[in-house]
Amino acid sequence: MITHVYALKELRRRKYRTATNIAGFVIVVATLVALVTTARGWEASTVEPLKEIGTDMIMIYSAPVVPSGTGCYIANQLFSFPFNQSDIAEIAEVDGVDRAVPVLMHRMGAVVFTGIDPTETETNAVLPSNVVEGRYLTPDDGAVALVSCEYAQLNNLTVGSDVRYMKGMYEVVGLVNVDAANILPSHIYVNLPVGQKGLPNDSTGLVNVALIRVSDPRKVDAISEELRNRWLGATPIAASDLAAITADVITIGEETAWNISIALAVFAVLFTVRSQLAAVSERTREIGILKAIGWSKSDVVSQIFIESALQGIIGGLVGCAVGYGVAWYFLSTMERSLTVNPFVLAAGFAVALISGVAAGLYPSWRAAKLTPADALRTV
Amino acid sequence: MGNTNVIEVRGLSRVYRLKSGEEVQAVNNVDLEVPDGQFLTVIGTSGSGKTTLLNLLGGLDKPTTGKVVVDGVEVSGLGEAELVRFRREKVGFVFQSFNLIPTLTAAENVEAALAPTGMAKAERVERSTSLLESVGLKGKAGRLPVELSAGEQQRVAIARAFANEPKVLLLDEPTGNLDTVTGKEIMKLCHETSKKQGQTVVAVTHADYVKEYTDQLLYMKDGKLSNTMLEK
Repeated sequence: MITHVYALKELRRRKYRTATNIAGFVIVVATLVALVTTARGWEASTVEPLKEIGTDMIMIYSAPVVPSGTGCYIANQLFSFPFNQSDIAEIAEVDGVDRAVPVLMHRMGAVVFTGIDPTETETNAVLPSNVVEGRYLTPDDGAVALVSCEYAQLNNLTVGSDVRYMKGMYEVVGLVNVDAANILPSHIYVNLPVGQKGLPNDSTGLVNVALIRVSDPRKVDAISEELRNRWLGATPIAASDLAAITADVITIGEETAWNISIALAVFAVLFTVRSQLAAVSERTREIGILKAIGWSKSDVVSQIFIESALQGIIGGLVGCAVGYGVAWYFLSTMERSLTVNPFVLAAGFAVALISGVAAGLYPSWRAAKLTPADALRTV
Repeated sequence: MGNTNVIEVRGLSRVYRLKSGEEVQAVNNVDLEVPDGQFLTVIGTSGSGKTTLLNLLGGLDKPTTGKVVVDGVEVSGLGEAELVRFRREKVGFVFQSFNLIPTLTAAENVEAALAPTGMAKAERVERSTSLLESVGLKGKAGRLPVELSAGEQQRVAIARAFANEPKVLLLDEPTGNLDTVTGKEIMKLCHETSKKQGQTVVAVTHADYVKEYTDQLLYMKDGKLSNTMLEK
């Protein structure tokens, strides 16, 4: 259809006006996409640490403190409240619990030392898949350890080096990659019994974290309630709890994003309406010519409409790209990963398209109602 | 040349009301008959009402009183949709200032008249190229109006006017922006093409040399057509 060719050429003819109109739509969409994507990226990252260690829930004992939403909170809270390792077996018996894995964590200064059961290879503070060099632990291991890559680099440790923690000396048998967002970040990992003995006050038979995997994710809340009731002072933390920690922030973030975007969209529409009216006014004579050669009102309306919609479409596409770029930048500075959400993309694009179409309504109506003779008289 | 009248005008008047409240009688009680295939020229000074008369004949404007019948269609009684169809199928316009769309190429300007008919793109391209060749613009289909001379621009406008094979061609000062030599070429082109296709032409002008191509010459002054008719 010639209207598309004509529309594109008209937009190119009025480069400055087209660019400013498109810039308006870009700002609207980029703001929406950037804010919503950043908020959702943050939300997703809060539940990721649990998934990374293959668990649905961790149980610790602590005072009820409102956490900050990262693993640091848990690491800071769990060291003072050990419980008997025999409780782990009982936790595993709770209805709906598929597996309970014991972990003992200890901290001295900035260094975190963790005892794990190496037979648990699917749910654990560190998994075989985290090993980047050397090997994973075995149940028969004595004074050997896995060391996080970051800690190894800081202390010039390699596989075969010795690492000291408290009164124990351990040979490094593997280097493990510990994600910064890991809910239970640690520097040194040893066999659980070795770790229990290696601590200053003999901690044999004690742990302070239970990693819990459930048979049915829908039962997480019920299991959490059961654990609280049976182990007074226990603090089960599930993915939903982590999400809830930041839920208010996320909701506020998304609401704000939408409100800002709608306000910007209104401005963009008004600006584009004004701009399109000026374009229609400049082209009054052209519109008269088109009517004289047989264009109907709907043909003229389509023409102006397509021009507005095209600006919205281009603004929407560029805005989505810019918005994701901004979101990626913010999330990467917070060490969070970006997730491309089709809904956010569609919503951003729809906002631009609707704004573009809305901006074309009045100018196209004004253009269509011109009589050809009046339009042709315009100089 | 047929014997039937393609254009019949009875008691046609057009009054404009200015913002000041003053009324201007642009066309005043005009009667006119134009037989099929005739080339009619209306000569008059600026402001005599020539363009308004053409606009009324072509359905671009509505008469205050009177009746306009073109090829059996009473233009003055048409609704908006029928008027669009009338302008698309029955008449072709050529304007003094060419009135081409500046962003469209010569071919696209011709296509702009064909597009509303629903003609397929390939057919439109073929027809616009053929029309441009017929007005002497072979090889210039892809040029923008600004890249064409004044005479060439008017040729594009003529090709556009002929695009839908209208029954009536309305020429509004077609040579007004052209030098005499080019103006004569344009008039010759319009004359030959319309004769070849059996079209009826109404040209309004103040250029004397237009008489050479005219079957019937009328004079217009203060909105009135003189009864003096000069048969060739």
